[in-house]
Parts: sequence; structure tokens; C-alpha cells
Amino acid sequence: MIELRNLTKSYPSQTEPAVKSVNMHVEKGEFFGLLGPNGAGKTTMIEMMTTLLLPTQGEIMISGQKLERHRVDLKKKFSLVTQEYSLRSDMNLNQIMELQGRLHGMPIKRIRSRSDELLEVCDLVKHRKKIVRKLSGGMKRKLMLCRALLTEPEIIFLDEPTAGLDLMFRRQMWDLLRKLNEEGLTIMLTTHYIEEAEALCHRVAMMRSGEIVRLENPRKLIMELGEFSVDVFDGNVTKSYYFENKEMALAFASTIENRINIRSTSLEDVFVKISESGVEIS
Amino acid sequence: MGIVCVLWEKYVEFKYEWIKITTAAIISPILYLIAFGWGLGDRLVNGHPYILFLIPGIIALSTMNTSYSSVGTSLNIQRLFEKSFKQIIISPTPWWQYLVGQIIGGAIRGMYAGVLLLIIVMPFQNVVRVTPLFFLVMLLNGIVFSSLGVLASMIAKTHSDISRFSTFVIMPMTFLCNTFFPLEKVPKVAQTFINFLPLPHASGLLRAISYGDPIQYQSLAVLLVYALVLFMLTLHSTQRIKNM
Repeated sequence: MIELRNLTKSYPSQTEPAVKSVNMHVEKGEFFGLLGPNGAGKTTMIEMMTTLLLPTQGEIMISGQKLERHRVDLKKKFSLVTQEYSLRSDMNLNQIMELQGRLHGMPIKRIRSRSDELLEVCDLVKHRKKIVRKLSGGMKRKLMLCRALLTEPEIIFLDEPTAGLDLMFRRQMWDLLRKLNEEGLTIMLTTHYIEEAEALCHRVAMMRSGEIVRLENPRKLIMELGEFSVDVFDGNVTKSYYFENKEMALAFASTIENRINIRSTSLEDVFVKISESGVEIS
Repeated sequence: MGIVCVLWEKYVEFKYEWIKITTAAIISPILYLIAFGWGLGDRLVNGHPYILFLIPGIIALSTMNTSYSSVGTSLNIQRLFEKSFKQIIISPTPWWQYLVGQIIGGAIRGMYAGVLLLIIVMPFQNVVRVTPLFFLVMLLNGIVFSSLGVLASMIAKTHSDISRFSTFVIMPMTFLCNTFFPLEKVPKVAQTFINFLPLPHASGLLRAISYGDPIQYQSLAVLLVYALVLFMLTLHSTQRIKNM
């Protein structure tokens, strides 16, 4: 569905490219996560995949066709929820939705019925006449998701979509995204909540300094690191040790006198390991 | 259809802000009319009372300012502050349709400002002749300057760039381009330069129509060329900007 070929982005103000020769492929219907520390190049990647930024080198293929800013047919296939709020502050919710629908050439009747459904799901119906500048941060995030889903895209790019949302709605949004994914929507997600990627994504790409250092199924990455972890606190820092099974973890723990914690390894451990070292996990 | 979508968007903007838009559109022109009209109104310019020389110039000036700022400021805010312009870039609406919509929307707002002034100067209407061509020139002038507004908002890197552009381009035109005094009063070299700008042509055309004199077709051509060139430049710049 999405193929990146040698994708590179350099900014004149920076000596190092923000994204360096990235090659990857996202399958149709896949829930794909793009993870990495701040400045790893995730948003630059998303912005190139949505034509906001033009690549310095390389190509983006959508359904086998090269994506360019004038490719109206390809742009109809995707939507974007940006990291920062990207809403007209002088419009109300109905107008935001109508503007999006009109920009995508949707019939007015369809815009209204689909808006009703989505605003209902996101519990925004009672606020629909409110001007955007009067909405809370969480409401703006929900509205951005509704807007992105309005046009019934084949692919949705979500750049930190749950940042600032309360836990309850975050979980609701997970369910909604899972449902949409099961219905065939291809989702590309960047998030700082690693447990979000672990819970939702079929595969994750770990980025560091503009490069993909690992691309794998989250479960497989965890298993590679070791299913169980022992956190050892030496009085200053906590160091984690990873083990294939619980018995090995317990055996190791019995040899340690410091404060310890035995737990299941998470994708966050993989993320931390890669962010720290930048090398492949072996 | 992208053009209709943008015009709808402009209508929504207007619906909520019409009082502010209306007052902003008439305050400066009224002050100009009072200051220059009362101060110098008894003079004759080319055989016509100064106030009748002044009114068409100020109408051209108002359509220029309103068309430029209604598009330039709004797009600049959407692009650099609200970031809502990102949704426009990624949308499947063709660029040319979006730009045409913005330019027409801006030109209509310019015409609105011009029409408001025509209403205000009603007492002089028995001598300020208004024909369909008068409206056409206002629209054309609006198209030129809303195109300039779109272009400025696309190449501006900060909010201040828009007001700087206004200071360096719009402001000099306001005072030097056949609005408050006839072009013959400026030195020949300056006249030649000023004649390359669009505003003196718009003022000249509106003045000729209001006097009932024959119009200069070359002035119409200048405005048309400006509208076309600015549209092409805007289209080109929006296609070329790498980092929106």
C-alpha cells in the first residue's frame, strides 16, 4: 500500500539529514507504528508521506504509484491527524467538518450524516456549534480525528493522535482505531506512548537519527530482548536485565542483593534499549 | 469543486466577522476623505473638483487594501499560526482551484469595500458616474491585489513578513499612485516607474469612468497582465515550496 524507496530529507539549516535513505513497505490493512525519540525523524517521514514536505531524494509509492503534490487521485486515499493542532480557530465543529468534506469533494448530505456519526462516537455532538478556539485540548484532538475519518480514507496517518487525551478517551480511541483497522483501514501511527504501539500495531519501525534501526512485530522484538526483565536499583540508577524465561530471571534475581523488580518485558524496554544504543538488538 | 469550497469558507468568515470587516474597510477611506476632501476639497484638478478626483482614487485604494489583506492575513494565519493550511495542502482539491477561489473571494471582499464607499459618497453620486465597467475595474483591481496577497502569504516566513510586505509594497502605492494627486505632479522618471504599477491604472480607469471620459484600454491590459502574471507566480510558488 505504501512503499518508501530511499527516502531522504535534508534541511538547509541542518548538517545531518532529518531522514536518511529509508526503505520500507506498509501492507494494506496494516497497523504500523513509527517510534523513536524526539528528533528521530518520525514527523518528517509522516509529512513527506502526506506531501507536506517534499523529499530531497527518493520516492513514496502509494498503491504502486508515485506520490506527488499534484496527484489528486492519490491524495484522496489518505488523511492526516497532525501532531500540533491544525484547525481553523474561527470555525465551529460543523464548519470544520464541512470544510474538510468540501475539500474532498464529498456531497453535503454525506458530509452531514458522516459528521453526525463521528461526532457522536467522539462525544462531541453537544459541542458542535462551539467555536474551535473555545474547545479544550482534548476536544480539539478528538475533532481532528473525526475530521480525518470523515472522508473515509484508505490510509490514515496519525502523528501523536492521543497526546494530551485523558486515559479513558485514549482507550476509547484505541478501540475505535482497532475497529477501523479491522474494517480494512491502513493506519500509520507515531506515538510517545509506547504501550499504545504495543497494544495496537502489527509492526513497528524504530527510528533513531533519521534511520530505521529496527522494523519488526512488537511481540517479536520483546521476545528477542527477553520475555522477562529484572530491574536492579543500585542506589543511583535502575538497570534492566532481560531473560528468556521466568526461571532464568528468578535465578538471576536471587544473586542480587539490591532492590529488584521482576516483570514482563515491554516494548518500552526495546524502545529504551534502541534509543540508548542505536544498534540492533541481538 | 474547490472554488466553491473556498468561496463557502470565505462566506463563513464573513458571516461571523461582518461587523469588524465592514468597519475596518471604511475607517481609513473615511479618514482620507475627511482629511483630504475637507482640507483640499475646494481645489480643481484637471478642471474637476478635488473631491471628485479623490473619490475614485480612494475606491481603488480600498479595493486594493481590502483584497490584499483579506487574503494575505487570513492565509498567513492559517499557514503559520493555526497550521490549518496543512489540511489544504494534503487535500485532493487541485491547487489552481483553491487559488482561484481565494483570489475571487479576496476580490469580492475588495468590491464590498468599494461598494461601501460608493454608498458613503452617495451625496456626490450625481457627479460620480458609476457604470457596470466601474464595477468591473473594481473587481479586476481586487483580483490583482488578492493574487498579491496569496503570493505574499505563501512566501512569508513569519507573521511580520506580511506587514513588512505591506509596508514596502502596499503603503508606497497608497500615497504615490494617482490616488491623492495626479501623476503629472511627480517627476518624469518616477512617473515612468509608477506607471508600471497596477494601482495608478485602476485609479485612472475609475476616474475616467466617473468623469464620463473615454477609458485607457492599455490600463485595462496592464491590470489583466498583472492578474495573470501574479496568478501564475502564485501557482508556481505553491507547487515549488518544499516545506509547507
